[in-house]
Amino acid sequence: MAGLELLSDEGFRLDGRRPSELRKIRLRLGVFDQADGSAYIEQGNTKALATVYGPHEVLGGKGKPLHDKVIINCQYSMATFSTNERKNRPQGDRKSTEMSLHLQRTFEATIQTHLYPRSQIDIFVQILQADGGNYCACVNAATLAIINAGIPMKDYVCACSSGYVNNTPLTDVSYLEESQGGPVVTVAMLPKSEQIALFKMDNRLHVDHLEQVLEVASKGCKDMYAVMNAAVKEHVSRMAKSMECS
Amino acid sequence: MASIQLGEGEKTFIIHGICKDDLRSDGRTCLSYRNFELECGVVSNTSGSARLKLSNTQVLVGVKAEMGPPNPLNPSRGGIEFFVDFSANASPKFAGRGGDELAAEISNMLGLVYKNKKMLDYKSLCVIAGQCVWTLYADIVVLECGGNLLDAIALAVKAALYNTRIPLVTVHKDMDGTEDIDVSSNPHDFVTLDTKNLPVLVTVTTVGSGHIVDATLEEEACSMACIVAAVNKEGAIDGMVKKGSGSLTIDSIYKMLTSAKQIGKDLNKSLDDFLSKKGSDMSSKGFLT
Amino acid sequence: MPTDTKRIQGPDASQSTFLYKKRANTVQPALLEEGKRQDGRSPLEIRPIFLKAGAVSQAKGSCYMEMKNTKVICAVYGPREVPRRDGFVINGQLRCEFKFATFASEVRHGHLTSHTEKDLALQVQQALEPAVCLHKIPKSQVDIFITVLENDGSVLSAAITCASIAVANAGIEMYDLVIGSSLRQTGETLLLDPTAFDETAESESTDDTQAIVTVGFLPSLKQVSCSVQQGQLQCEDSIKALQQCIDVCERYYQVVYECLKKSVKKLKSPVESPMDEAPAS
Repeated sequence: MAGLELLSDEGFRLDGRRPSELRKIRLRLGVFDQADGSAYIEQGNTKALATVYGPHEVLGGKGKPLHDKVIINCQYSMATFSTNERKNRPQGDRKSTEMSLHLQRTFEATIQTHLYPRSQIDIFVQILQADGGNYCACVNAATLAIINAGIPMKDYVCACSSGYVNNTPLTDVSYLEESQGGPVVTVAMLPKSEQIALFKMDNRLHVDHLEQVLEVASKGCKDMYAVMNAAVKEHVSRMAKSMECS
Repeated sequence: MASIQLGEGEKTFIIHGICKDDLRSDGRTCLSYRNFELECGVVSNTSGSARLKLSNTQVLVGVKAEMGPPNPLNPSRGGIEFFVDFSANASPKFAGRGGDELAAEISNMLGLVYKNKKMLDYKSLCVIAGQCVWTLYADIVVLECGGNLLDAIALAVKAALYNTRIPLVTVHKDMDGTEDIDVSSNPHDFVTLDTKNLPVLVTVTTVGSGHIVDATLEEEACSMACIVAAVNKEGAIDGMVKKGSGSLTIDSIYKMLTSAKQIGKDLNKSLDDFLSKKGSDMSSKGFLT
Repeated sequence: MPTDTKRIQGPDASQSTFLYKKRANTVQPALLEEGKRQDGRSPLEIRPIFLKAGAVSQAKGSCYMEMKNTKVICAVYGPREVPRRDGFVINGQLRCEFKFATFASEVRHGHLTSHTEKDLALQVQQALEPAVCLHKIPKSQVDIFITVLENDGSVLSAAITCASIAVANAGIEMYDLVIGSSLRQTGETLLLDPTAFDETAESESTDDTQAIVTVGFLPSLKQVSCSVQQGQLQCEDSIKALQQCIDVCERYYQVVYECLKKSVKKLKSPVESPMDEAPAS
């Protein structure tokens, strides 16, 4: 699409945000009763649903149980109506397998795997509407679902993406901004210890700008953490209150 | 459908309750339906969508209208195609290709019912005969799998089709005779579908010597056979398939069809009432409520 | 999708000549002309059937069935060990595979199993399960392979009958045979045992109710094991159509019984007795 200005002269992006603003975040924990943990997150127009089953015994042909840690099995799938062009296969194609692998690696680094040897934890993420930042929404939703399931983690995992346009780094890129071909850096971070669990970059970025972009992404992650933490505390206090009353 | 393991004692308890006392485990009578929640316009980049929650069964349907070449056997009609996806959210055994068989069964059933030319006005979906027609792709995501999946899916599909907005298309002939298609980019210029004749699927399950409607997972595990009937608002049967590995006498089929007809009429009525009030919503809360 | 490199596929954009033939014909032949159908039968007349049990010598049990131009062959292997080890099932299982030969219909079928074929396989399996004594073959599986050599309508009902004869021929214990039959209802007229033309032809007045009903029936137990209705019918008409199909099944039952009896007698006598056509009454 020619003529799309990602950053206007006044400093506004296509959807009216400032360069360092995250999209509107709405989230809810405990959406499903059947799963051990579940969460739903909306980041702007990107909607992701995550469920966690486990820890349970190792099922299926996923390999033998490990004697010292838990097996984490992730599946990333997109609903066929989630993108603008209708997708033919919800999962099983290359991109979904790659995303599932990224998710698995991220959570292997965060969940305290030594606590559940010979077991398996399943994390399933479903994208209902895709508008950029799919991986970030998945990671955030999955973190909340794991918290909802009561599985111990070292810290929250918050993910945020950032782009670089006109010498300005942008936080939380949407689909339109991604599809323009500019560089996109996705970072999944543990906010308290500032450790990075996953770092991904698409397209080209000059190494001089890397530090700036990375810093912006980290700030985005920390902002995400503040929102998620507040929501979790609110959910827990609501549950505690209802338990006291009964 | 997806089954759970039940002990013999539990099965006997459920069967006796249904056959002797007309009382089910959750206190309903044999022919009463659970309440369901329905929301339209949940996913914004589809032409129409609906989310239905029937106790612990949850399905999300998104309809996308796309233009393309028609089926060569029906060059001047549009079409509808169904795709069912069992999300791994519903159960770990649906991960990967686990839910494919069940999904194929359900999409075949829906295809059988919607194949009838009187269902939707397929002729109005034609843009240029022989070259370009609207095809509706109804994608169903099963998020939670409790009992009575087919009924929930059919209700949600009907609601999503009611909610569907197809952009207005004008065809004008150029001077050299070629036809040019102009799709209106105004989001308020749209055509909706007439869903008056669409049926609702009612699954009547035999348990022992009696039959029930809207079975839970436990009740489905006790039954050997069921009849899935598509009933429209006048009580006509638009399609019927017997499923399961048991056999039925003609008398029981008659009784089951009569119950299905009555329940189908009631379901259609309450669904139509709801849709006329809230069916055209385009942005609702979804899972946040 | 993996393609078979040994098959020569036509170019991707090729279409069957059958589609062009249909468009050229502006006048469609009528469903019923002067009370007779396109193949000369009256509405309530069923086609004569030919049955031969034991047609495939390598299979444990088999059957070849011809209903005028609809030709179906079925082979049964088993009871065999269950190959996959997902879940322990104490009772036996039936596994059915349905395939149209690529040359079977007017429009060529693909060689990979399509959705329709998978659906039909499931229907036949569910039609036969009530009739087979599965508790007598624990932890085993019976494989039923059905191939339609020529499709001239009523394929599902032919496949059900053929499969149940094949299973009986294989010596697997059954409670009863399963006989299939189908009909097409156009307005008030019932056409029994429709051909492919009868199934797809449009009737003159488009307001008539149109439906195709297929039934699988156990004649001794008087129970229905398969029932598929496609099209719109009122509840009472639906039951009437089912009853009609059941009557047709009863008529076929005699023929099926004779065929099985003959195949058992042939096993006793070493001399091959000539096979004769067994027209339905």
